[in-house]
Amino acid sequence: MTSNIIVFSEDSKIINDALHVAYSLSEKTGNLIALTNSDENAEEYFRNFDEVYVTKKDLMPDQWASLLRKVFLEKNANYVIAPHTVNNNDILSFLSAKEGMHMVSNALSFQEKGDYYVFSRQVIGGRGISYIEISKNEKIALTVPLKVYPKINLNKSPLVKEITEIPNSKINFAGFEERKRSGVNIENADIVIGVGRGFKNKEDLKLAQELADAINGVVGCSRPIAADYGWLPNDLWIGISSKIIKPKLYIAVGISGAPQHVSGIMDSKVIVAINKDKNASIFKYADYGVVADLYQFLPTLTKKIKEMKK
Amino acid sequence: MVNIAVLAKISLNLNLLKIESNGKINTAESPLAISEYDKNALEEALRIREKFGGKVICISVLTWGPVNKKLQDAERIMRETLALGVDEAHLVVDDYFDSCSPLETSLAIASVLRKLGNFDLYLCGESSMDVSSAQIPARIASILDIPFITYVAKIRIEENKIFFHRELPNGVQIIEAQPPLVVSVTGEINQPRLPTLKQILQSKNKPLIKYTLKDLQIETKAGKLNQWMEVRPVIRKNIIYEGSKLEEIAQDLINNLIQEGVLKI
Ligand SMILES: Cc1cc2nc3c(=O)[nH]c(=O)nc-3n(C[C@H](O)[C@H](O)[C@H](O)COP(=O)(O)OP(=O)(O)OC[C@H]3O[C@@H](n4cnc5c(N)ncnc54)[C@H](O)[C@@H]3O)c2cc1C
Ligand SMILES: Nc1ncnc2c1ncn2[C@@H]1O[C@H](COP(=O)(O)O)[C@@H](O)[C@H]1O
Repeated sequence: MTSNIIVFSEDSKIINDALHVAYSLSEKTGNLIALTNSDENAEEYFRNFDEVYVTKKDLMPDQWASLLRKVFLEKNANYVIAPHTVNNNDILSFLSAKEGMHMVSNALSFQEKGDYYVFSRQVIGGRGISYIEISKNEKIALTVPLKVYPKINLNKSPLVKEITEIPNSKINFAGFEERKRSGVNIENADIVIGVGRGFKNKEDLKLAQELADAINGVVGCSRPIAADYGWLPNDLWIGISSKIIKPKLYIAVGISGAPQHVSGIMDSKVIVAINKDKNASIFKYADYGVVADLYQFLPTLTKKIKEMKK
Repeated sequence: MVNIAVLAKISLNLNLLKIESNGKINTAESPLAISEYDKNALEEALRIREKFGGKVICISVLTWGPVNKKLQDAERIMRETLALGVDEAHLVVDDYFDSCSPLETSLAIASVLRKLGNFDLYLCGESSMDVSSAQIPARIASILDIPFITYVAKIRIEENKIFFHRELPNGVQIIEAQPPLVVSVTGEINQPRLPTLKQILQSKNKPLIKYTLKDLQIETKAGKLNQWMEVRPVIRKNIIYEGSKLEEIAQDLINNLIQEGVLKI
């Protein structure tokens, strides 16, 4: 069975991640067909495809979804693969429902097992992995994580077609507000202090900052501190729906240890937890746990470190 | 008047998972809980109804079986949504849906929705807390053939226009659109209320309607998938300090961290 594969991304800059998976699935047969947008650097990565459908316009998800369906049906494709983003995942879900297909969101890996592929993906807020067996004969849609695959270069001479007929959108774009960034890269820091809802006020976060300053660390946070309270910028929020970190030392302060948070710190070398509730789940994930009120313990810890430095 | 269908998932309770010695999650023995962000979807629906009037119904497909073990827990969760203020609850319970995929779940939801007629808004959570596929909202929109707007952290109604603020990784995208719409919300959109005792008592008299596979029209050529879940093992030292001698604890902790090579002073 030949299997044409559509590699889709509303943003062509990240299409490589999906291409990689498509390429391993397609090795024996089938054409690689891209549907994406284009910019001045597009030429280079388009050379990895047999055919390219491209638009220079900014489209809404529903417009992409109709274009994708059109190409999918025209090319009688078996697989659609996209890098995992909010919009790409929505667009593939929309297509999958129309075509009665299964879809695996954010598939980490796949293995062949006889007539099946076994895909894995994160579940339980990232604490668990689910394994999903899908017959090789089924048509499927996949989204795959960003930034895990090396660049490839297949050097083909693709047929590039610009899409001219664009369906109307039923929703209207009404603005975009850039998010403010901290400028701190918590993914590269050796020491991260994570602050959570155990802090009562924004001003109290200085207790964590003082500790961070004393040990050359940076402050990160749980989701509510950024998303609900806006006490810190979103790029400092740690966990499955934001940053995954692997510092040498992670100190969780006033954080309960929800799976969605913990999955973002699992690969830290040493984990310390400070929490006043001795049953808090964060202690299960900690090498060292201190059952104490952070308002008393943090200043004590910072003071000791400063004394030792002298 | 705004009529709203809230899609609420009866999820595995992440704090009470039953994990076997080989790491596999025993879903049959794990208790259930309403998925976290579906509480926000419910809350948003109730707030819209308070302002504009209308009806709020809740739909759920029980995807964790076996039904004979899970029915009570599932009904309790649906009663909770009624206690919060939902007018009617609709629950699909059939062993066919045990550990099913988003494909089957969305077909079942859509089939119940078709029986109930049209709604202005179909509110979902951004993703469910157990499997987090984030497929259901766009799938439902696709089957109903209406637009979808996902990851909404704010709904703003101005005269005849409705604005949706989408939380995307690099910023907030604002969309204007007219119902009918499928909308998924983030946890930041509101702070869900708790039911009053009176509401809890009243919920017993509200309709909770159950469906099995034979009540639904579900056609699919795709096969059902085999799937299972495992938990990643945690290997940590778990040294716990307790007590009031904070200075000593701090000193001991610092010494250990220096010895581990993760702290330099
Ligand atoms: C789909 C989904 C994705 C999510 N993604 C993320 C994510 O990426 N990152 C994330 O962090 N969360 C995420 N969450 C949210 C997550 O489920 C939790 O709600 C969140 O992590 C809780 O944050 P917290 O630990 O700061 O607050 P809480 O759970 O409220 O914990 C506060 C802790 O502080 C302790 N405390 C209180 N006072 C003190 C004191 N004086 N001294 C010491 N300790 C004190 C309490 O004992 C408690 O344990 C997600 C949820 C869902 C459903
Ligand atoms: N079994 C279900 N019954 C009702 N609603 C569901 C179900 N599964 C998912 N949903 C809805 O779809 C959203 C996204 O779920 P998911 O696609 O599983 O990440 C949830 O927050 C619910 O609003």
